Amino acid sequence: MSDFLSGLRISGSGMAAQRARMNAISSNIANINTTKTPEGGPYRRKDVVFESTADTQSFGQILGANDPRSDYQQVQVSDVIHDKKAPLLKYDPTHPDANEEGYVAYPNVNLMEEMTNMMQATRSYEANVQAIQATKDMALSALEIGR
Amino acid sequence: MSNLFDKTTDALATSLQMRQIRHSVTASNIANAETPHYHAKKVDFENALAAALDMEGTQGLSTTHGDHFAIGSKPVTSADIYENPDVAVNNDGNTVDLEKEMSALAENSILYKSALQLINKKMASLKYAISETK
Repeated sequence: MSDFLSGLRISGSGMAAQRARMNAISSNIANINTTKTPEGGPYRRKDVVFESTADTQSFGQILGANDPRSDYQQVQVSDVIHDKKAPLLKYDPTHPDANEEGYVAYPNVNLMEEMTNMMQATRSYEANVQAIQATKDMALSALEIGR
Repeated sequence: MSNLFDKTTDALATSLQMRQIRHSVTASNIANAETPHYHAKKVDFENALAAALDMEGTQGLSTTHGDHFAIGSKPVTSADIYENPDVAVNNDGNTVDLEKEMSALAENSILYKSALQLINKKMASLKYAISETK
């Protein structure tokens, strides 16, 4: 059996994943000039890895029933990765973080890349919102049967 | 044998159930539109539903007497969910086409609502028949 709650859960997981991605992008943009981090060295660009997981929170599955809902896949953030690209070196001998040769290591963040990723995350988020709206509409009109 | 709820109501109810499954599958595809190696899923039920309802009247035995049992028409209870084969694979191994999924979502939602409308009309005519003596 299937119900609309699984649809809501799935779209909700999609929204949560895209929000996590937005957080990573915001962090990258905010730290585009950060040269000092607790780990040492310049800020490293962060990215999230998405992973699909079976929707196992359904009522039927909790009760152990043979439920086809495992065919529906939620999405989750499985990992936050740090970009391995080499930092950008700029010559600025007066900077406190400059090395012996006078070069400062700046983060490997490309603002254009972050902006396009941000647009993509926004659109995906909106797609999930649309799906939730459709689920809600359908569920509410099903409640009107026979009225 | 006469039923208060006829074959059409059963068909509409099954179609609602199947559309709900398709809705969840589409929502799942949309949520995973950017998950690497996720393969878009698809549900087919129209043919199975048509066969079960015996639209052409070729499979079931016809009932010519009130005591006859109708044979050959069984309601469909499970949908066939499979990985959509005719899609392009992205660089990250994902096969979701977000535009297609969004239009499938809208289409499915409209057809769900139209099935609901039909059920409501059926109910309304039943109600009308019940309340006619008042």
